[in-house]
Amino acid sequence: MGNCLKGSTADDISLLRGSDSTRDSSSSDQLGPPPPYQESLPVYYPSPNVSRPVTQLTEEEQVKIAKRIGLIQHLPTGTYDGCKKNRECVICMIEFMINDPVRYLPCMHTYHVECIDDWLMRSFTCPSCMEPVDAALLTSYETN
Amino acid sequence: MATKKKPSSDQGSSSSALDSSRWEVSCFWERRLQKELMSLMKEPPPGVTVDAEGAGQNLTQWIIQMDGAQGTLYEGEQFQLQFKFSPKYPFDSPEVTFIGPNIPVHPHVYSNGHICLSILTEDWSPALSVQSVCLSIVSMLSSCKEKKRPPDNSFYVKTCNKNPKKTKWWYHDDSV
Repeated sequence: MGNCLKGSTADDISLLRGSDSTRDSSSSDQLGPPPPYQESLPVYYPSPNVSRPVTQLTEEEQVKIAKRIGLIQHLPTGTYDGCKKNRECVICMIEFMINDPVRYLPCMHTYHVECIDDWLMRSFTCPSCMEPVDAALLTSYETN
Repeated sequence: MATKKKPSSDQGSSSSALDSSRWEVSCFWERRLQKELMSLMKEPPPGVTVDAEGAGQNLTQWIIQMDGAQGTLYEGEQFQLQFKFSPKYPFDSPEVTFIGPNIPVHPHVYSNGHICLSILTEDWSPALSVQSVCLSIVSMLSSCKEKKRPPDNSFYVKTCNKNPKKTKWWYHDDSV
């Protein structure tokens, strides 16, 4: 997978992770969420199926991606509390372990932060129900 | 994609990919594929058989035997599906084609094995799996009313890329 979440050359990436780093190498045991695929330059997905290194993005694409990162940040995160309703992250197909960092989408589907953020940078939809996340975000603002 | 690793070179020579001890060193897509392979071996959907040995040796390329479902136009026929996975799986869809001597004659299956099915490209989601793709294909075949090739078959087969994911598919007919 494109390593759009880590990379020394793009400091704005830290936004995606939130202020407290969701995980560090010491906390990731073998069965935890897996490490992202390593790439030398961060690769972004200005639209689905289009990937480009960070250096080759147009200004318009950069704005779009920055907005996307901002929106992702608005999605609530937490740590897995053992809830029986969500047992497994369907992206990595690994069972949640207590205290795994998770992100909740407006449709209430839950994933590992690292797994879902990687997907949301490619497509802003819930992998399970295909609900567009931005539409659902707006609805949740209106109802609250 | 400067450091796109060639997946086959990741395969250890001494231990098979099914060996659970390899999980310690394998990365995201390998782990997930190993899980999928295990569950497909343990609980395969009806009429679907994975060549576990081949897939275990090279996780990036699986061959799946598929039986035409009973009571459909394809009853009694056997097909072979090839799945190819990139290191970006499951964020990238697998490349899925029919291979071998018997390519199903179906309005969405080209004679070179390419399949016009939206979940294989633009409607792909990482929540989908080899199993759900197989079920979709079985269901696509099963709902067929008349065995025929796509109308543009000969032109497409002459001009298409080897990789069906490079095709700009038009999805328009949900009835079969």
